[in-house]
Amino acid sequence: MKVNSGCKPDKGKKPPMTGKVKKHLSKYGIVYLFLVPVMVQFIIFYLIPIVFSFVLTFTDWSIVGTPKFNGLSNWKRLFNDTIAWKSIKNTVMFSVYYIVPTMALGLFLAVMIFSQKKKVGTFFKGIFFLPVVTSFVVISGIWKWIFMGSEQGIINQIFTFLGLNTQLFLASSKQALLVLASLSVFKVVGSTMIYYFAGLNGISEEVYEAAKIDGAGKWRIFSRITFPLLTPIHFYVAIVTTIGSFQIFDSAFLLTNGGPNFSTNTIVFYMYKQGFSSLRFGYASVLAYVLFVIILLLSLIQKKVIKEELD
Amino acid sequence: MENKKTSVISIVLLTVLAILFLTPFGIMIIGSMIKMKIPVGNPFTWIQKDLSLFNFNFIIKNSEYLTWIKNSLVITIIPTALQMFFALVLGYIFSKKQFKGRDFIFWIMMAVIMVPSQILIIPRYIMFNKIGWINSYIPLILPRIWDIMGVFFVKQFMLQLPKELEEAAYIDGANDFHILFGIMMPLSKSVIATVGTFAFISCWNDLLTPLIFTTSKEMYPITVGLASLLTKEGNFGIEMAGAVFSFVPTFFMFLFFQKYFTRGIAFTGIK
Repeated sequence: MKVNSGCKPDKGKKPPMTGKVKKHLSKYGIVYLFLVPVMVQFIIFYLIPIVFSFVLTFTDWSIVGTPKFNGLSNWKRLFNDTIAWKSIKNTVMFSVYYIVPTMALGLFLAVMIFSQKKKVGTFFKGIFFLPVVTSFVVISGIWKWIFMGSEQGIINQIFTFLGLNTQLFLASSKQALLVLASLSVFKVVGSTMIYYFAGLNGISEEVYEAAKIDGAGKWRIFSRITFPLLTPIHFYVAIVTTIGSFQIFDSAFLLTNGGPNFSTNTIVFYMYKQGFSSLRFGYASVLAYVLFVIILLLSLIQKKVIKEELD
Repeated sequence: MENKKTSVISIVLLTVLAILFLTPFGIMIIGSMIKMKIPVGNPFTWIQKDLSLFNFNFIIKNSEYLTWIKNSLVITIIPTALQMFFALVLGYIFSKKQFKGRDFIFWIMMAVIMVPSQILIIPRYIMFNKIGWINSYIPLILPRIWDIMGVFFVKQFMLQLPKELEEAAYIDGANDFHILFGIMMPLSKSVIATVGTFAFISCWNDLLTPLIFTTSKEMYPITVGLASLLTKEGNFGIEMAGAVFSFVPTFFMFLFFQKYFTRGIAFTGIK
């Protein structure tokens, strides 16, 4: 009894206690009301799945039946799975085909537009930016008919008209990945252009003035001054587009279904197939982790370089 | 003299490229209005043919297109509104409220950006399947009620605002809600609009998530519906009409909010 009574709130102290609580609530009420639910949501939908996904890589689990622990066999399977390696290779090749043209064209557009009057520039910026807000599904739908491999494809009709040989495009294991890359260049170059435009805005007028006084020509100013000064932007754009390119899925799913002959089988597409067609959740999680590791490395490089730039 | 010449050259180059960039959209729009199973001949001759809304009518009558549009609106508008709200509130909390662990919580949330969303899909699928949420709106809304980039964007913005703003209001007896909705919200309008435009586009255009979390036709959003049309139909005019339906809302978003896009992209980036 005596022990319990010690825990009872002292009647004399009660008003200041609630006063304190009230003060605390009026100061932090907003934190409890909004940040706490968001944190709960964050734990349930982000942190737990990340951990759960890692556990899954050690199990044999399709949606029916009970999960079985199978040690490292999913990881071992990865090393013997030639299609998995092909999908990694395809994804890397896709990035190679896609990144340099996106950066070059983005920079070109930004430089061209930068020299225009503001109104004209905004007009052109709008046109090149339109594909960025349009969905992959819509653009893939159009690309399907433009690059159709038969004689009915729009480009093939133009080729026939010009007396050129028709191409297989999406039906060719050599060209399909290039067609997907062209789609991504078209879709993403507008945002690259905006990054570069922001970068050009950041270069002070005085630098150019000084160069002009020294009698430097336009190309010389660009190659010796503008281009090097954009180095942080080059790096940022390179990393951002690389990360995006490793997640390529939509166009491979819609246009080629990974084919022909697995030539457009990308990491995310293969993960989707393994997970949701073959119902191998464990192995699909291994593929997801492969993607994770690649993206993590790229992000860390980005962080490090940006930090060095700031220092 | 030389400046004028290069300016003319660059205008010509830009115009050529602009036409090239608009051609796919032109093919889509003209194609959608032509009754043609396979695109034949020169696209410029199509315009001389009879333009009609046949394909649109056909789609509305013969598929669940209106339902798909409705579904897309539900899973786009609700997360967009919530993301704008939470960007405002959390941006305020992370920039203006002082408490232990605040920065730690923020950086944990930021770190998750480095995790590709694809890694979350399988565990979430297992989770939603267990609860019985597959083929409902919940898996497409609940995980997206806030977005860390939006929060980060608002936080950075509010950090630039002078402290005197809220200090003066506190002295006058205002609480957080007065300050947040009375002072901060009007000031952050354009930042919040940027958050909203990005949220809208990314929800409306998403394919992979609804592809996995919806399996019955009545629950498809427009991206999955159009994808099913693309992989099955094989009819040029009808596919282009379907694409137009999906394209129009994003086009208007773009038309009205272009400056918010370009502002946001220079700040954050889009996938």
